[in-house]
Amino acid sequence: MGVNLSSMRRLRKRLPLSRQVPRLPPSRVSSMASASAPKCNSHTSENEPVKSTSQDGVNCDLNETVPRLPGETLITDKEVIYICPFNGPIKGRVYITNYRLYLRSLETDSTLIFDVPLGVISRIEKMGGATSRGENSYGLDITCKDMRNLRFALKQEGHSRRDMFEILTRYAFPLAHSLPLFAFLNEEKFNVDGWMVYNPVEEYRRQGLPNHQWRITFINKCYELCETYPALLVVPYRASDDDLRRVAAFRSRNRIPVLSWIHPENKMVIVRCSQPLVGMSGKRNKDDEKYLDVIRETNRQLSKLTIYDARPSVNAVANKATGGGYESDDAYHNAELFFLDIHNIHVMRESLKKVKDIVYPNVEESHWLSSLESTHWLEHIKLVLTGAIQVADKVSSGKSSVLVHCSDGWDRTAQLTSLAMLMLDSFYRSIEGFEILVQKEWISFGHKFASRIGHGDKNHADADRSPIFLQFVDCVWQMSKQFPTAFEFNERFLITILDHLYSCRFGTFLLNCESAREKQKVTERTVSLWSLINSNKEKFKNPFYTKEINRVLYPVASMRHLELWVNYYIRWNPRIKQQQPNAVEQRYMELLALRDDYIKRLEELQLANSSKVSSASTSPSSPSQMMPHVQTHF
Amino acid sequence: MFSLKPPRPTFRSYLLPPPQTDDQISAEPKIKKLEPVLLPGEIVVNEVNFVRKCIATDTSQYDLWGKLICSNFKISFITDDPMPLQKFHYRNLLLGEHDVPLTCIEQIVTVNDHKRKQKVLGPNQKLKFNPTELIIYCKDFRIVRFRFDESGPESAKKVCLAIAHYSQPTDLQLLFAFEYVGKKYHNSASNMNGVPCESGGGGVSGPGAGSSQKTPLFETYSDWDREVKRTGASGWRVCSVNEGYMVSTCLPEYFVVPSSLADQDLKIFSHSFVGRRIPLWCWSHSNGSALVRMALIKDVLQQRKIDQRICNAITKSHPQRSDVYKSDLDKTLPNIQEIQAAFVKLKQLCVNEPFEETEEKWLSSLESTRWLEYVRAFLKHSAELVYMLESKHLSVVLQEEEGRDLSCSVASLVQVMLDPYFRTITGFQSLIQKEWVMSGYQFLDRCNHLKRSEKESPLFLLFLDATWQLLEQYPAAFEFSETYLAVLYDSTRISLFGTFLFNSPHQRVKQSTKSYSSTLRAVPSSFRNGVLSDPELLPRRNSLVLKPKPDPQQQADGRGGDAEQYFRDWFSRPCDLHGVILPRLSAAHIKLWKLCYFRWVPEAQISLGGFITAFRKLSLLADEVDALSRTLRQQRGGALDAGCAEPAQSRMYFRAGGPQAHAAGTPEFLSSSFPFSPVGNLCRRSILGTPLSKFLSGAKIWLSTETLANED
Repeated sequence: MGVNLSSMRRLRKRLPLSRQVPRLPPSRVSSMASASAPKCNSHTSENEPVKSTSQDGVNCDLNETVPRLPGETLITDKEVIYICPFNGPIKGRVYITNYRLYLRSLETDSTLIFDVPLGVISRIEKMGGATSRGENSYGLDITCKDMRNLRFALKQEGHSRRDMFEILTRYAFPLAHSLPLFAFLNEEKFNVDGWMVYNPVEEYRRQGLPNHQWRITFINKCYELCETYPALLVVPYRASDDDLRRVAAFRSRNRIPVLSWIHPENKMVIVRCSQPLVGMSGKRNKDDEKYLDVIRETNRQLSKLTIYDARPSVNAVANKATGGGYESDDAYHNAELFFLDIHNIHVMRESLKKVKDIVYPNVEESHWLSSLESTHWLEHIKLVLTGAIQVADKVSSGKSSVLVHCSDGWDRTAQLTSLAMLMLDSFYRSIEGFEILVQKEWISFGHKFASRIGHGDKNHADADRSPIFLQFVDCVWQMSKQFPTAFEFNERFLITILDHLYSCRFGTFLLNCESAREKQKVTERTVSLWSLINSNKEKFKNPFYTKEINRVLYPVASMRHLELWVNYYIRWNPRIKQQQPNAVEQRYMELLALRDDYIKRLEELQLANSSKVSSASTSPSSPSQMMPHVQTHF
Repeated sequence: MFSLKPPRPTFRSYLLPPPQTDDQISAEPKIKKLEPVLLPGEIVVNEVNFVRKCIATDTSQYDLWGKLICSNFKISFITDDPMPLQKFHYRNLLLGEHDVPLTCIEQIVTVNDHKRKQKVLGPNQKLKFNPTELIIYCKDFRIVRFRFDESGPESAKKVCLAIAHYSQPTDLQLLFAFEYVGKKYHNSASNMNGVPCESGGGGVSGPGAGSSQKTPLFETYSDWDREVKRTGASGWRVCSVNEGYMVSTCLPEYFVVPSSLADQDLKIFSHSFVGRRIPLWCWSHSNGSALVRMALIKDVLQQRKIDQRICNAITKSHPQRSDVYKSDLDKTLPNIQEIQAAFVKLKQLCVNEPFEETEEKWLSSLESTRWLEYVRAFLKHSAELVYMLESKHLSVVLQEEEGRDLSCSVASLVQVMLDPYFRTITGFQSLIQKEWVMSGYQFLDRCNHLKRSEKESPLFLLFLDATWQLLEQYPAAFEFSETYLAVLYDSTRISLFGTFLFNSPHQRVKQSTKSYSSTLRAVPSSFRNGVLSDPELLPRRNSLVLKPKPDPQQQADGRGGDAEQYFRDWFSRPCDLHGVILPRLSAAHIKLWKLCYFRWVPEAQISLGGFITAFRKLSLLADEVDALSRTLRQQRGGALDAGCAEPAQSRMYFRAGGPQAHAAGTPEFLSSSFPFSPVGNLCRRSILGTPLSKFLSGAKIWLSTETLANED
């Protein structure tokens, strides 16, 4: 306990610390920001629905009814009993709008119990029948995509749940009822346009592209070469558009190898694509073979091109039966193929299901670690990270360029390229950089968000659904845990992204590919998630962030360091919830505020002293005279 | 991912005949430099030259050449070669980089490659082959390996035997501490226990803080008296019946008892308790509830009567005359053998097993060690007692057969949770004095300094681990950092200080002959913990904590309610870091203390990462704020205050003015194991490409003597 602490204690005695603090905690910053930015819509200060959904019960103003976004309309409200898995049944009133499900307690105080965007709902089931006996046995059970279930009990008389069920089904699954997703009705305005964040030409220019070896091609301008690729692609200078067309014929869904990232110094590249259409007969394609060789030669290195096939080798072999396969040694002399053993979307979906089983509603206590192990979730995280580390290391060490694919090149491939890029390029570790990374490697390259998440779709058991993007964000979180100063964004940023992955409030994650988005005019008709985040950046900043330009991050992908992301997966359990914000972060913010305050006071003192000297005042100021002067600064 | 540096000249070059020029002169002092650094009283008993210390497991390219010595205190490897692959040196005032104190040695294995023999060396054993390799398994998880390919076979053998002999003494008096004449530190008594000595006054620079920062040792009447007054315990008094250890040899000379019990009664009662251990007061809550530890009453006939008398007296000492809550620790907590077994498994898993092969089943293997389960059990039980004391206003009596093992842990944890004073460095050290050293925790047996393994148990580590869990959950509630806890643990392995050497205060007094007793005590606390060198680089002091309020907040939470409700309420309120802290006990919250258990494991090291990188930024900022506040005060006070300018800042973390401070990036030496380095500290040996541990599956201890002895 040095000087500063005791002096701070004295300060605290004079006034509560929070009042001296110019840098306010995030919540205040947000309300200030909305107040000082008239362009902001009045609801933007409340733009964090999930934040307030926590079970701890944020006290709301009694006069306030349901918070509503512009474009949001109240459909119905009803008295229900919410069966809280942690605190037992609570009597409340549920409000359903075309965007959210909102529950307010009718007991003692009108506490907000939860505020769930309808997009989060994956399945609505009726529980009990008209004749069911037992208390609270008749009602609805709602399964959510974000690791929780909501249960309501209703009165058994007069089919009271029927209309609630129908309204919920209608608005939670609008696509099944020819209704638009809420994002297309949302009229929120932000002072920043998130759709401007990603401009492919600018991003490639940042990477130093085009250069003598790589060119930007508009061959896919109308999505004719490849329906699921973006319009703008970077390909080897020496490959003609005709070459590209011929290669496309040999790659699954025409997803040809194109550049994702280039090392600024050694010019090694990360290239992504889908599997070659080898098939049972072991077909070969001279153009594809030549094309890969052209890629290899772009950096004048004589080493072989490294191909990382994300799949387990058995899966790659099995894919031959359906016309796919992998690059064989005899066909691709100048390439070396490695399998990364990452499992497919079905395995990941089942694994996450098991995670939910052990954390919701109750955390498996007696054999926590072995239960966690048996979900294999962390093992999958480990494999994805290990794969990305290998890609990053090959490129960074200048050993060779890397080509990454899986089957279609939109799930595991996106995970690997984006994580490797995050390790290699510190730009992507900033808030905007990360947005660009997601926009580029995931959204523009056709990760099938609509199918994987099932936005507005009622078919909860769809085999196409899978938490691939969540798994990627989990990997990012693991990295940020291991390198607490390397990322500009904080945990809340990642959780906010995941919340709006499902919410359907923004257009960012809607639809499966760029061509579909263009057809629907998503950028014109919806708001971008990045508008919300970038107009309120302070909230999402990691105070410890230290910008380090050329540092490659190699996380340790070991079970010894990987952890279950408790603040995400177990956040609904009030007994598990951790201190928010984190104490270390909070202390740092306090100290920052204190520093700024001291600097300001010091400057003022120096100013006062110098003016005194200049006016040649006769009486030197005594401390007692100084004190009131100083205190006015609080 | 170490950055590989160009190869350096190695010791091998000294083997070549020096060119016949004037080099003769310069070569001489070079060899002379390979002298061990010895402490007063330390003597070299054997040495061998041209030894190779292995640095990496899979390659010999980084190996160091030098001399291996065995002294009566340590084994030391002396080399001119700089440490490879390492950007930061953690230095210890007592120990060199390549030193291992003899009391830290767990097992000595000698190997002869050519004959394919190996043998675990016990004391007074013969070695029938000339060793080509020596592997030292340390109690602090390190594995150090030396090769004798180029050294004289006989001297190599002699050194190995000497190490085996001196590291396994048969008598307490043979421990080095008794040879150690600390002339150097034989200075004024005021230096004796003060924590701040080591930091150049770091803890006391605040105005008015003065000299109040000494760690009370609880050897004197006044220390106990002050503790009684500090906690506001009325109805309790310091008693001196045990002066000169007349009543019990495993109790302190002074301790605190209910005022209503007369000395005479206590003397009579004492005969009925195991070890004549009269119940000891530990601490009192501001609501008057007391924490008391009590040994078993062995006299069956008297049992009920004495128990009644004691409990009545405790009730009488409670301002509200509340009942006594008895907690039988032997029934509720794992015993010391179980804890030892868990620890052995944990150690096996963390360092001895091959890293990659344990990855797949890591979580379930960790679970099956049961270590975390035990840590959690101690925390859980302690938290329940906090509820009894705090919310139920009941005095708590900890019952244990001897009252000097589990009680130490539980009593300490309860106090760490309840009393913010014990979360300061001074307070924590005084707690260890009070509940461990003076209450007769058998450090000698439990640390197994004399290698009689059946009594060994890492209870003290378990306590530090549990404290770490609290620190992890409430980083801003503690004055110290996890490095401090790790170093404290290490200092139990250095047999230099009286603190962790004896089974009881009486034994210490008895064993310490006149001239040495003061030596043992008069060690500045910096050495007590055995650290200190680059103070500005050692994050021992936590820069998160605010100065504790002088008076602990007393939230009179009168409501009864059940424990479940108490915990739920507590967790729903914002936490007051200057008040009670309770651990979150869900399995997902109890974590492995990675700094302590992984610090030597190269594969587990996060280079340029880990929590320390954020902590460093925080520390730098804290320093900056500190400097600003001082400037501000000086400016404001003008000439008046200028005279009493603060001494130069000497925090124990990163200095704002340090060379690295304003470089934008993360300093190269930072890693998740900082300030420790795995380089050369974990050389798992492999035989013909197969890890040694493969041969030992099922072995309970590191390497079981039976399995290994004279293996062919």
